Amino acid sequence: MTGSRATPTMDAPPLLDIENLAVGFRTGTEDASMPLQGVNLRVPRSSRMSLVGESGSGKSLTAAAVIGMLPEGAEILRGSIRLDGEELLGASKRRLRDLRGPQIAIMFQNPRASLNPVLTVGGQIAEVIRTHSDAGRRDSHLRAIDLLDQMGVPDARRRAGDYVHQYSGGMAQRAALAMALSCQPDLLIADEPTTGLDATLQQQVLELVVEQVTDRGASLLLITHDIAIARQTCERTAVMYAGRVMESGPTASVTSSPANPYTTALLRAFATVDEGRMYAIPGTVPTLLDPLVECPFASRCPEVGEECRDGVPELRTIADREVACVKA
Amino acid sequence: MHLAVYVLRRLAYMLVALFGVSLVAFVVTRLLPGNPAYMIVGVMADESTVIAVTERLGLDLPIHEQYFRYIQQLASGDLGDSWRTRNPVTTDIGARWPATIELGSAALILALGWSVPLGIVSALRRRSFSDRLANALSGFGVSIPEFFLGMILLLVFFATLEWAPPALGRTLGDVPPHTTGFYTIDAILAGDWEAFKAAAVQMILPAVTLAVTVGAPMVRVTRGFMRETMASHHIRSARALGVPERSIVLRHALPNVLLPVSTMGAIMYGYLLGGTVLVEFVFARPGIGKYAIDSISESDFAPVLAAVLLSALSYLVVYLIMDILHFVIDPRTRT
Repeated sequence: MTGSRATPTMDAPPLLDIENLAVGFRTGTEDASMPLQGVNLRVPRSSRMSLVGESGSGKSLTAAAVIGMLPEGAEILRGSIRLDGEELLGASKRRLRDLRGPQIAIMFQNPRASLNPVLTVGGQIAEVIRTHSDAGRRDSHLRAIDLLDQMGVPDARRRAGDYVHQYSGGMAQRAALAMALSCQPDLLIADEPTTGLDATLQQQVLELVVEQVTDRGASLLLITHDIAIARQTCERTAVMYAGRVMESGPTASVTSSPANPYTTALLRAFATVDEGRMYAIPGTVPTLLDPLVECPFASRCPEVGEECRDGVPELRTIADREVACVKA
Repeated sequence: MHLAVYVLRRLAYMLVALFGVSLVAFVVTRLLPGNPAYMIVGVMADESTVIAVTERLGLDLPIHEQYFRYIQQLASGDLGDSWRTRNPVTTDIGARWPATIELGSAALILALGWSVPLGIVSALRRRSFSDRLANALSGFGVSIPEFFLGMILLLVFFATLEWAPPALGRTLGDVPPHTTGFYTIDAILAGDWEAFKAAAVQMILPAVTLAVTVGAPMVRVTRGFMRETMASHHIRSARALGVPERSIVLRHALPNVLLPVSTMGAIMYGYLLGGTVLVEFVFARPGIGKYAIDSISESDFAPVLAAVLLSALSYLVVYLIMDILHFVIDPRTRT
């Protein structure tokens, strides 16, 4: 549809550029915490990037910061988020609202809960279309039906008038995708989009997301805790831990020859799940109450050395990727 | 499910429920100490007169036979007679229930009018002025007894400021020609502005009293559901796609909130229609609640039973209407 997009090259300015993003909670002095400790992440145009990490590593919070919808009590401490060169931090509410839909769209886990139970599915998609264009009621509904059809919802004309409780889990996810893509976003953020779906459906939904995003020339930022999903869907992967990106680069090389010991440990944990045994990374995730003063993985790292305690390692470009480890 | 089938089933269920209520109420009133025959004949009568009256009323029969007679009466639309007023109960109730319905409806409209908007606005802005106001008003309304609030209002607006008329029944003006039994509506239908005013001013204080006490829990419920809805995933999703806040509140959140809130409103309306004894007493309004209490204290069984049945019937009818409305509004009930 938008064939005029430039072909992606690594040198072109990225579509999404997150630099040194730190987010803290100031819910009273007691529980003040700093869950994002300086995130650096770049998503090139027309590419697919996965953001993997354990629960609590800050993946979803990063996404929330990008769409300007941080939870109550959270605030940006420093950093920058640029979308297509435009700084999003400090942008007006109005501007952010205009961006959501036509430029960035997000789909959350649990698609059934993501759709309003008392509005028709088609009506909700049509409203998003009307919000961001001057399409009329009839026109927007026709486009909603068309989108549902493209997402593989059978008998879309009739199904558009149904409510979400009449949809199966897989169909609801297709409808949620239709809604997210309704305004041709440049960037689709999918936050654990297949959690709760069975394996076959998961496969279908992922394939659909990849196909639709690619067809539209858009970029995908897929948030997942499952490295297998990252491998399947995204050419690039960033690994997050303790509110920082530890390593990022082409998925194939990150997952086959990790350069950060944390990535190695995470991959090992996944590999042993497949073998039926569990490998647990020794130690615990640090509690992020204050700014880090050393490598967050230092206390658990098998390769830790003195130099790991001398400040937080920054991402450095090494060969085809970026790594935040002084030993790499 | 088809609406007609649903309604028929509910009506059948209603009959069963009423039957149960009548049974319990009948047994309880008969178990109360005191033989109405003594009250009817007076203290000077001799024993044979008492026995004669007891037999005439059928009070000497076994209780199940008495109940069977009562049900037969009910089936023919006869609620029995009140020996206290010497009228058929249907006549008494026909004169009093409109007063209760009129007041209850006015109170419900007032209650919904202040509690739902306040609940919604306070949910949207935590710790704002409206949130504090909602806390204060609902706390006040929940904790103050109706009769006490009624007395305070009378003290302030009648005794001190003299803005309100004395609380003496339903109107101090002309009684409008009987059409519906509701004085305010009848006055409007007759085009009698003075009669309308006279009837309406008599309702203001009791209606406000009830609106405060009935509205108070509704503020909390509305605010609770609104907060919950605004924090739900579908609201977050709609926001994440740039849907404007106005539509988020009015189109996306409000219908989800009004469903449970309307159920609560129905419960309150059922309560109001059954007669609000204390408020009717304080404001000397001849409604169904006052009728029931006056009857209980004189062992006048038929009106008491009738009041209990009517109260149950009001709840059941209001619930049925509410459920039909939900059936139409809420897509989830339709499949």
